[in-house]
Amino acid sequence: MKNNSWMRLLIVMLAVAMIASACQKPGEGSSEDGKVEFEFWSAPNPTQQAFWSDMAKAYMKENENVKIKVTPMPESPSSEAGIQSAIAAGNAPAISENISRGFAAQLSASSAIVPLEEFDGYDELIKNREMTETMSTWKFADDHQYVLPIYSNAMLFGWRMDILKELGYDEPPKTYSEVLEMGEKLKEKHPDKFLWARADLVKPTWWARWFDFFMMYNAASKGNNFVEGEKFIADDKAGVETLGFMKNLSEKDLLLTREATDPFETGQAVMMDIGPWTFPYWADKFPEMKQGETYELSMPPVPDGVDPENAKTFADTKGLSIYASASKEQQQAAFDFVKWVYSDAENDLTWFEKTNLPPARDDLSTNETFEQYFEENPQLVKYAENIPNAVPPIDSENTVEIQEAIGKDAVNPVIKGQKEPKKAWDDMKKSIDGMLK
Amino acid sequence: MNKSNARLGWLFASPYLIYSAIFFLFPLIWATYLAFTNWNLIAPDYEFVGIQNFIEAFFSESVRAAFFVTYKFLFMFVPIVVIGSLFLAMIIHALPRFKGLYSVAFFLPYLASGVASAIVVNGILSYNSPFNIWLRGTFGLDINWLGSPILAPLIIALMMAWKFAGYYALLFVAGLESIPKDVYEAAAIDGAVGFKRFWSVTLPMLYPSFYTVTILAVGLMFGIFTEPYVLTGGGPEYATHTWQLEIYQQAFAKMNAGYGTSIAVINSVVTFASIFVFRKILEKWGARHGWE
Repeated sequence: MKNNSWMRLLIVMLAVAMIASACQKPGEGSSEDGKVEFEFWSAPNPTQQAFWSDMAKAYMKENENVKIKVTPMPESPSSEAGIQSAIAAGNAPAISENISRGFAAQLSASSAIVPLEEFDGYDELIKNREMTETMSTWKFADDHQYVLPIYSNAMLFGWRMDILKELGYDEPPKTYSEVLEMGEKLKEKHPDKFLWARADLVKPTWWARWFDFFMMYNAASKGNNFVEGEKFIADDKAGVETLGFMKNLSEKDLLLTREATDPFETGQAVMMDIGPWTFPYWADKFPEMKQGETYELSMPPVPDGVDPENAKTFADTKGLSIYASASKEQQQAAFDFVKWVYSDAENDLTWFEKTNLPPARDDLSTNETFEQYFEENPQLVKYAENIPNAVPPIDSENTVEIQEAIGKDAVNPVIKGQKEPKKAWDDMKKSIDGMLK
Repeated sequence: MNKSNARLGWLFASPYLIYSAIFFLFPLIWATYLAFTNWNLIAPDYEFVGIQNFIEAFFSESVRAAFFVTYKFLFMFVPIVVIGSLFLAMIIHALPRFKGLYSVAFFLPYLASGVASAIVVNGILSYNSPFNIWLRGTFGLDINWLGSPILAPLIIALMMAWKFAGYYALLFVAGLESIPKDVYEAAAIDGAVGFKRFWSVTLPMLYPSFYTVTILAVGLMFGIFTEPYVLTGGGPEYATHTWQLEIYQQAFAKMNAGYGTSIAVINSVVTFASIFVFRKILEKWGARHGWE
């Protein structure tokens, strides 16, 4: 009797589990009447979701055989984790945005996303959107293109020109020695102020390296890649120089490595890494921040002897990827939708207006479509001009480990005065070599 | 029990059993299996790697940190929250009226989002906060609150204690309310007043609540995530690196789901073993004082 009850219980449990698994969304989206249905995951951001919803509606009006369901991607605990869980559960969409190059490398290594250049109309898309040069830096080590960049923020440094003018400067310093000289003058006049307030400099947070180390390394190395496939190919000289500059800033007490609230806006620090997302915040909270008066934007400083005019920077950029779990029909339909969106520069303008994120186009600063918008938002001009000078994140499936090692073995100990730049660089290189093998 | 009663029993119990099977039993079996693989959560192919993940975890600096950091949190948080919530409960219990209102007021931090609380604390402790400016200006004290390996965990422990004290105080209030007045009257006749009354009457009668609160508080420390994630990211130098942070980073940031799961399995074992040890200590302590 007792055994029978347990058996029954087990059968009930199994039946429930089977029903639960049967309730999963079917992966196929094409129906017998020739209609194609697919899901598009937008970034978990209302403005981006609104843009893609409007685009999908407009596209569906013109293409009645296509049904696009735009939903924001799950962001708990992070959008990457949400995508991973969906892939694992078989619930991945056909296409999603918000994919960084590093994450794409992880996804492509697991065959979770498909190469875009194999779709019909790929060349046409790249040509129509004027993004040949931008795409060249996006090629992955296996020669495929897994992500179509939507926007590209060429990360810049902001400078408090009102304070710099007090020190006798009319423009931001461009080289390491100019920055250090300016820093010394700053400390003489304002001992309580700092050059750069950045708590992340003493934390191993992997993504923080995009906005400190990579901005400066890209400038010092003229955009030399960091890793390629399984090889560490970074420019040793530029790397050591970057760390040496950080060491000098730290030794001269020019860095504030503590959490601080709006240090740049309050004038506690005179330099800050800035992306275009800062401007809406300033408009709301710090309307007194005016370009040319309180602040100016510049490319990252370069080592002495390197031409500042050729400086490169880090590109905070994300794009679209198409998932391998979708049917071939859904994949092509998703690609056709993207091709349609980017066939008209007006759509990029709408995106720009809604999100403030510069579309990843080579011609952004020269295309007439965007002229008026730049006149109204001159602070975005430098971002547009430097899109071709911005280097996207590394395309390694070990991105997180590599960037963690840059922090733990190099940046953090150098800033804390625990290691010399050369030793820190060598230690970091050894760690990364170990990961890539 | 006859057959139809047994059926009825199973019927009533079935929603919970089914729920447990779907959300606990199957995931547990699946996770245990995953812990022996090198699956990265999305790859179609993965290998069975035996105990390799466990060996790697054993020699990992970050896993070792998570192990010790949990006990560090535990020895900071448990005394603070138990004493704090007991003190709070005694104040609420002694109030002549509006006990419910005060209980709810102190319970509110428990409902507050951990992320929001952490952001507020971050603001209060930031370098240029009014509090720190005042400390620097008045006393010349420039304290790196979240950059110190001793202060950072203490701040997180205090923050957690603030959040949970009201909740645990409710349990103590319930315990205090259940002590019959006759017992206090009898104790007063025997001369037990003030601290003696608290030590000899209140505390022994409150032992079940004390036991529950302590075990809940101990268990809580093995699942901390939000506060260190937002405030310190596990730093400085692993000083606030918890089990959940390590599991999250391995499974979702580094995409080592198999390895991350093995750490989760180790975490479960350590949690069960630690709670078991604490229960035994509390039971022995209670028995020694005749509080069982």
